[in-house]
Amino acid sequence: MRLKYKIISGFVILAVMLIIAGIISIIELTRVGKSVQVLLDQNYKSINAANTMLEALEREDGGVLLLILGNKDEGRTTIHEADSIFLKGLHILQNNVTLPGEGDLVTGISYSYSEYKNTWINPVVGTELEGDLKWYYDNQHKSLLQVKQAVRNLMFLNQSAMYKTGTDLKQRSEKAIMPGIVAIVAGVIFSLIFSYFIHYYVIKPILRMMKSLNDYNNYNKPFMVEIETKDEIYDLAQAIKLIFIKKSTDSKL
Amino acid sequence: MRPHIIIRYIGLIFLFNSLFLFTSFLISFYNNDSGMFPLLYSTIIAFIFGIFPLIYVPAAKNITSKEGFLIVVLSWLLTCLLGVIPYVIWGGGFSFTNAWFESVSGFTTTGASILTNIEILPKGLLFWRSATHWIGGIGIIVFALVILPNIGHIRTVLVKNEFSPLAQHNFIQNTKQVFRVLIIVYLGLTLLETIALWIAGMGLFDAVCHSFATIATGGFSTKNLSIAHFNSPAIDIIIMFFMFLSGIHFGLLFYTVIGNRYNIFKSGVVKFYFFSIVAGILFVTLNLYLNNYYGFFKSLQYASFQIVTLATTTGFANADSSAWPSFSIMLLIFFTLQCACAGSTAGGIKIDRVLILLKAIKIQIKKFHHPNAVISLKIDNKTVNPEAVNNAILYIVLYIFIVFISALLLTAMGVDSLSAFSGSAATMGNVGPGFNMVYSLGNYNAIPDAGKWILSANMLLGRLEIYALLSLIMYHYRR
Repeated sequence: MRLKYKIISGFVILAVMLIIAGIISIIELTRVGKSVQVLLDQNYKSINAANTMLEALEREDGGVLLLILGNKDEGRTTIHEADSIFLKGLHILQNNVTLPGEGDLVTGISYSYSEYKNTWINPVVGTELEGDLKWYYDNQHKSLLQVKQAVRNLMFLNQSAMYKTGTDLKQRSEKAIMPGIVAIVAGVIFSLIFSYFIHYYVIKPILRMMKSLNDYNNYNKPFMVEIETKDEIYDLAQAIKLIFIKKSTDSKL
Repeated sequence: MRPHIIIRYIGLIFLFNSLFLFTSFLISFYNNDSGMFPLLYSTIIAFIFGIFPLIYVPAAKNITSKEGFLIVVLSWLLTCLLGVIPYVIWGGGFSFTNAWFESVSGFTTTGASILTNIEILPKGLLFWRSATHWIGGIGIIVFALVILPNIGHIRTVLVKNEFSPLAQHNFIQNTKQVFRVLIIVYLGLTLLETIALWIAGMGLFDAVCHSFATIATGGFSTKNLSIAHFNSPAIDIIIMFFMFLSGIHFGLLFYTVIGNRYNIFKSGVVKFYFFSIVAGILFVTLNLYLNNYYGFFKSLQYASFQIVTLATTTGFANADSSAWPSFSIMLLIFFTLQCACAGSTAGGIKIDRVLILLKAIKIQIKKFHHPNAVISLKIDNKTVNPEAVNNAILYIVLYIFIVFISALLLTAMGVDSLSAFSGSAATMGNVGPGFNMVYSLGNYNAIPDAGKWILSANMLLGRLEIYALLSLIMYHYRR
C-alpha cells in the first residue's frame, strides 16, 4: 500500500471511532431526553393531578361536615369548589392513561367518586341527617376513604413507573457515557500504535537513509539500507541505490 | 523483540474475534434487541485493531520463541479485554469488574457467571457469550494461524506455547497436521452436537449456544437454570456424551475416527479418565439414593451429569448439587481438581498429571522395599522422562498452593470457606460452578469485586497452565 493511503488510513480510522462513539452517545442521550419527557408528561402529570384530587376530597369532607353542622351555604360552596377541582383532576387522569392498568384505576376512581357524591348530593341541612354523626361515619366517611384509596392506588402506580423510568434514565446516561470512554481508551491505544508504526516504517527508514548518505559523503561507505515495506520509502531507497549504481558505472567508464 | 510483529499477530486474533462479534450483531439486528449498538461498536473496534497492523506490518518470515510466547499470553489478555467492550456498553449488571470476570470466564472456557438473570440478556449478547467459549476453547491463537496461510516456522513456535507440554508429549505430529486435526475435530463435534440437541427438542439458537459451550468445555448456558431448564433426559444424555468426548485429547479422537492403531481405546490416560468418571458416578448415585435424595434413576441421571460436567470442566448443571450429602460434594470437588485429559479444551490439573503422580507414588513405595532398583515410569508402555515427572508433580503442588492462597484471600474478604475453596478450585480448573454461594445453579455476583479479580487471575493462570503467565510476569520483572 502506498504511504499516502497508509497515513490517511490511520486518521480515517481514528475519525471513524470518534464518529461512531459520538453517534451512539447522541442516540442514547436523545433517548434520555425522551425518557425525561415521558417522566414529566405521563407520570408527573398524573401524580400531580392525584395530589390535587386528594386535597379536593379533604375539602369536600370539610364541606359535608359543615352541612351536618347545619351550615348550608358555606358547606355547599366549599363542596362545589372542591368538586370542580376534583373533576378537573379526573379529567386530566382520563386523558393521560399511559400505563397498563391505569385505565381501570381511573374508571375505579370515577365510580367510587360517584358513589361518594351520592351521599352528599341530596340535602342534608334541615333533614334528619343534620347532626347525625353516625350517618357520617357509617356512610359518608367510608365512601370518602374508598375514593381516597382509589386515587392513592393510581398515584402509587405512577410513582412506581416514575421510579422505573428514573432507573432507566440512570442506565441510559451510563450507556451514553460508555461508548465515549471506550472511544477515548481505544483512541489513545490506537494513536500509540499509529505513532509507533509511523516511527518504525516511515521516520526510521528515512533516518537510516540520511545516515547512510552522510556516511557515503563523509567516509565513502556504500549506500546500504534495507526497507521492509513496498511503498514510496522503498521506491526512494531503490532510486538512491540506482543513482549510486549509475554513478559508479559512469565513473568506471 | 519486535513489537510490530506481536501487534500484527494479535491483530489477526482481533480480526477473528470481529467475525463472531459481527455474527452476534446480526443476531441482535435480526431480533431488533438492545445488543445491537454495543455489538456493532465492538465489531468496529475489533476490526480496526485487527486490520490496521496488516496495513503496515508485512508478514514475518520467522518469529522467536519469546515473541511467540508473548503473542500467546498477550492474545489471551487482550482478547479478554476486547470481550469486555460489548458488556460494558450494553450496561445492565455489567460494571467493568463484572464484565472482565464474564469475559475472562468466557474465553478461558470457565463458565462462571456474575449474571443473576441470564435470560434478560439480548440474544446477540447471549450468542457472543457462548462464542467466547468457542473461540477460547481451542485457543484463539490456533484459529488465527490456521486461517492464515502465510506462516511456516511461526506456527511451531506459537503452538509450543499454546498447548500443554503433556499434550505435545503424546501427540507427535507436525504442527500443520495438529492444526488440521484440531479444526476437524472441533468443528465436527460442534456440528454433531448442534444437530443432536436440535433433534432432541432444543431450539436452534439454544442448540448452537450450548454446543459452543459444551465442545469448548465452557458451561455458559442461555438459561438461568442451565440444563435443568430443559428438564429432558435426552438433552442431558447428548450433552453428557459430548462433554465426555470434549475432555479427551483431540488428536486421539481424530485417530479413533480415522481408524489409527493408537486410539482412545488403547490410551491409558483415557482409560483412567473413563473409569474414574464411572467410579465417581457409581459412588455419588449410591450416596444420593441411599440417603433418600431421589429415586435410583433420578440419582443416576443427576449424579452422572454433575460428575461428567465437573470432570470435563464444563460446568453445566441439571440439579443443585450444593444440597447433596457431604460425601458427594467432596467427590465433586475431587473431580473439580482432577479434570480431563491434556490435549483437550479442558483445564485443571489434568488426568495425565494425576496418573503420573499416582505412578510416581507407586514407584516410590516399591523403592522402599528395593532401594537399589531402577524403575522407570511408563504410560502406554512409553517411559516418561524424569524431568516430565518432576514437572507434573511440581505443577500439582503449585496448582493446589494457588487454589489455597486464593481461597484464603477470599475468606479474608468474608466469603465462607466452602464457597471460597470450591470457587477458587472451580475457576483455577476452568470448571465454573462451585458450592454454597457459587453453587451449580447460582453465580459469582455476590463475591466482592477484589475477589472477582483474584478469581479472574485464577482462570487465566489455569488456562495458560500457570507457567506461561508467571513467565510473562517474571520476564517483565527481569527487564
